[in-house]
Amino acid sequence: DGVAVLPAPQNLSVQSTNMKHLLTWSPVIVPGEIIYYFVEYQGEYESLYMSHIWIPSSWCSPTEGPACDITDDITATVPYNLRVRATLGSQTSAWSTLQHPFNRNSTILTPPVMEVTKDGFHLVIKLEDLGPQFEFLVAYWRREPDAKEHVKVVRSRGIPVHLETMEPGAAYCVKVRTFVKAIGRHSPFSQAECVKVQGEALPL
Amino acid sequence: CISGGLPKPTNITFLSINMKNILQWSPPEGLQGAEVTYTVQYFIYGQKKWLSKSECRNINRTCCDLSVETSDYEHQYYAKVKAIWETNCSKWAETGRFYPFLETQIGPPRVALTTDEKSISIVLTAPEKWKRSPEESSISMRQIYSNLKYNVSIYNTKSNRMWSQCVTNHTLVLVWLEPDTLYCILVESFVPGPPRLAQPSEKQCVRTLKDQTSALRVKII
Amino acid sequence: LRRCLISMDIHPVEETFQEIKKTIQAKDTFQNVTILSTSETLHSIKPSDVCCMTKNLLAFYVDRVFKDHQELNPQILRKISSIANSFLYMHKALQRCQAQRQCHCREAATNATRIIHDNYDQLEVRSAAIKSLGELDVLLAWIDKNHQGTLVA
Repeated sequence: DGVAVLPAPQNLSVQSTNMKHLLTWSPVIVPGEIIYYFVEYQGEYESLYMSHIWIPSSWCSPTEGPACDITDDITATVPYNLRVRATLGSQTSAWSTLQHPFNRNSTILTPPVMEVTKDGFHLVIKLEDLGPQFEFLVAYWRREPDAKEHVKVVRSRGIPVHLETMEPGAAYCVKVRTFVKAIGRHSPFSQAECVKVQGEALPL
Repeated sequence: CISGGLPKPTNITFLSINMKNILQWSPPEGLQGAEVTYTVQYFIYGQKKWLSKSECRNINRTCCDLSVETSDYEHQYYAKVKAIWETNCSKWAETGRFYPFLETQIGPPRVALTTDEKSISIVLTAPEKWKRSPEESSISMRQIYSNLKYNVSIYNTKSNRMWSQCVTNHTLVLVWLEPDTLYCILVESFVPGPPRLAQPSEKQCVRTLKDQTSALRVKII
Repeated sequence: LRRCLISMDIHPVEETFQEIKKTIQAKDTFQNVTILSTSETLHSIKPSDVCCMTKNLLAFYVDRVFKDHQELNPQILRKISSIANSFLYMHKALQRCQAQRQCHCREAATNATRIIHDNYDQLEVRSAAIKSLGELDVLLAWIDKNHQGTLVA
């Protein structure tokens, strides 16, 4: 093991949005040199049952940093310890460990982007692909007093999905939020979007 | 025969669709033109010994139907094959562990379409599990996979738009369609769970009827 | 008495195992022995014993299998860690269930669990661990089939 003369990376923190998790830290600066960083993680299982085990991150062992996408490493809803160290040739810094273990159930869930269209009398919705962990709760209603709200769970990602067959001349509104079963949480609802259906040709 | 005198068969795998389990392989390399024959054995994981299938001893073809031998889909299996040519034979080439319940492909449902001016009714019949003989009573794949669903894709050839619907029951009626328009339907069975190869149905296209009311209006004017 | 079901989406765990299944199973050279012994043990479990059996099986993997297996390949190690931490999460969920007296353990589940531990003890520990890992597809399929519902815990 190289002699630890390099300063350890500081200010480790995790930003997590829609189940994408990014570990960041303050870069170690050595003028004219490229510093590489090694990121390792330990789930609650490892810390409880085999605390000596640290696992090299999927994408950042090494990386030029100072950030690391740890989404593919944080794959259970348990606390994870994370640590980073800097290297320059044979010189290696001490490990710097995230102050508080990170749990993906703290991720920020944002209202999803949706595209509401119609094909004749058919109300169709297309939702952004946020990954396999996301379900979409789509609420839709006919715009009229005391309208009944319908809810449909949609899982298909990025493919237009049929919502409703609309009545001629009526207007329908749609709003959607995400649900992540792995952490048991919803996002806020999106803004509602409404579409109006052409009227039927008047019978003679 | 002298074991190891020939190279082993390659690419040995199970091709499984609706629990019809066919062992298939490629001939050993470098023996083009030689009159090679093959012998197959199979093994039930957890049992004691390899078993032979008489219909797959010294055969010329490079496949063997092991559906009967692997019909208990909740068990797991191995199979192996060796090549024989004159007095030489290869070592055994063996599959990985085969688990029909998780690995069989779910075939597409039978799709029946009927239409009128503004609607298409779609009737789906779940694919059937492989059976030993035509006389044997049919078992639907839904009886094995209670969470079997269908992904129905509908393509409006006039508006060039496509949308899909995930359904669990067998009938779906699309109403308020455009008259005199060609719609194409494609249906795929799927079972939520570990990824599984899928086989979509043949694309079927049907035209909605001409709108009778506008025809009537023309007559009256 | 409401049955205690795991709502956790088991499919990501199944997909994770699918990625290492061939490698892990290829290391299991004792084809004539099983740990979970499919038909005799798991499929004889009645719905009312599913919760306790699931908890016992998760404990078996968390307390024995994952600890006894030593993995050098980082890719495989990541996948096993992912499964182990997911099992830990599910096991804690079922333990909360048991605390709320919704996960009773009767003789059938206890006997079936003992058979599995006995099977494990028949083999040298590393072989037993790799065989148990190789049978995760059987366990996950059983959990998926018996827990198609929403979480109580």
